[in-house]
Amino acid sequence: MLDIKNLHVAVGGKEILKGLNLRVDAGQVHAIMGPNGSGKSTLSYVLAGRAGYEIIEGSISYHGEDLAALPPEVRAAKGVFLAMQYPVEIPGVTTMMFLKSALNAQRRSRGESEMDAIGILKTVRKKAAALNVSEEMLKRALNVGFSGGEKKRLEILQMALFEPKLAILDETDSGLDIDALRLVAEGVNNLRAPERAMLVITHYQRLLDYIVPDRIHVLANGRIVAEGGKELALELEAKGYEQIVKDAA
Amino acid sequence: MTLALALPTRRVEEWKYSDLARALGDAGFGEASARVSIGAVPAGVEVFDLDEPNRPDWVKAHYGKLGGNAVSAVLLAKARGGIALRVPKGNIIEDVLSLDFAGEGHVRALLVLEEGAALTLSERFDSHETRNVGFEIVLGPNAQLNHVRLSPVSDAVQVEEISLTLARNAVYCGHFANFGAKLSRIELAITLDGEGAEAHLSGVSVLSGDKHADVTTKVTHAVGRTQSTQLFKKVAGGKAQAVYQGKVIVAHGANGADSRQTAKALLLDGRAEADLKPELEIFADDVKCAHGAAVGDLDADSLFYLRARGIPEKEARHLLIHAFLEDALTDIANADLRETIRGAVSTALNEVSA
Repeated sequence: MLDIKNLHVAVGGKEILKGLNLRVDAGQVHAIMGPNGSGKSTLSYVLAGRAGYEIIEGSISYHGEDLAALPPEVRAAKGVFLAMQYPVEIPGVTTMMFLKSALNAQRRSRGESEMDAIGILKTVRKKAAALNVSEEMLKRALNVGFSGGEKKRLEILQMALFEPKLAILDETDSGLDIDALRLVAEGVNNLRAPERAMLVITHYQRLLDYIVPDRIHVLANGRIVAEGGKELALELEAKGYEQIVKDAA
Repeated sequence: MTLALALPTRRVEEWKYSDLARALGDAGFGEASARVSIGAVPAGVEVFDLDEPNRPDWVKAHYGKLGGNAVSAVLLAKARGGIALRVPKGNIIEDVLSLDFAGEGHVRALLVLEEGAALTLSERFDSHETRNVGFEIVLGPNAQLNHVRLSPVSDAVQVEEISLTLARNAVYCGHFANFGAKLSRIELAITLDGEGAEAHLSGVSVLSGDKHADVTTKVTHAVGRTQSTQLFKKVAGGKAQAVYQGKVIVAHGANGADSRQTAKALLLDGRAEADLKPELEIFADDVKCAHGAAVGDLDADSLFYLRARGIPEKEARHLLIHAFLEDALTDIANADLRETIRGAVSTALNEVSA
């Protein structure tokens, strides 16, 4: 589904990703682990299409298509979803209105009919209840005054609503207490499906106790330096990034 | 002395951002009389045509007493016609009263709300001709006026001065939606003259092309325990120019005055201009006054967030611009008028090169 080859990405003229290779197939959950500054967020932003992330070499193929050539909204409509580390607060746009606009924009882009307000409301309510997202949150301005946990739950609610093919979770565990982490992880696990791939980006092994990956990649200094099964997370936890990076060198 | 020479120049501080003489050209304002008309007159509202002889006492008591800026002093004297409206003591008017200004030239209006009276006023400005309006509003004790003014996009020069006095516990809520003209100026001179009086001003501007819109306010807290709030939001694309000048004066001894002013502008084009100038003159000791102004572009993080969730760029920009304007629109108490203004904002946004 996703095939990244020799990816070099610069931000503000500085090279952050330096020849990254990664392949994720449908039905799989891959974890990207790495220390601060290794390029984890750069990878997530370049996949979602944020401006200012310049691909200087390499390619990103998504379902055989050149992902980098598409604007962010087209990527979203084609099933790419990034759960952001810092969801943006937008005063003046209610959460419900935003969900409706986004869902229908994606449907329009795919040539599907738009859903009416009632249909969307019913769908959102059902999925929101499972994630403990209250009716009151849906009425509030998007992410405004939400706690860290509420913001992350809303990100997962969007993922449940949009039903992406490739879901990228950027440090979804950051700022969550253990109860919130369990709730979010459960929401993610419920979305595991044979046709869906997930890329879970995290600094800590903790999240991977709850979302167990098929494969773990260690990102350091803009490259994948180690790969392995889920046991690699425990090794990282025991040895620390520094040792793993040294061992790999 | 010709009329053109008597117009304020940009060297006059209050007219620094609005070059009236240049916008009018050699023709000047002329001496014609513009028209003012009202829609259905709700029961409980009295109307007097200022062209008629034998003005009633309430007109004599209030007409021509307020205001007096450079334009009105020189030119409003030329206005022959106009309309005077009164809501007598204690009358609470449920229906919206529409006041429409049209035609070329000068015209005046007077609105008196007596003690305890309440009214919602919808003021519309026809877009076609060059016009100069002087509008006096007098609110008696405990009177309440909700005022919504809509001026659609225009190629003409359109100037209006509104002078307003509020007696004790009177409440005025005014919203000014302006979509620009060759030169558009709305000047509000408000005097909070009795304890407990409140004036709440809000407004939105969405400007494209080479349009200009100037809102200039002067709020005087003449006595203590008075409150004023101002929230003006402006969006300018193309080579448009949005102006807000707001002066709040707290008179000597007006302790307990509470005033807030906020003006924000979004510039969607490098050639667009916003001139925001909030000012305070405080002569009392115990007051609460705050003001702020900010000019910016759409937030890149917000734009990316919306696009990453599938909302196309143009739609995302419109959503963010609506969101930017929203808090100024929610101040409109009347739901129908609020939706009218929202609709006008949407139409105008389609014109802006967003």
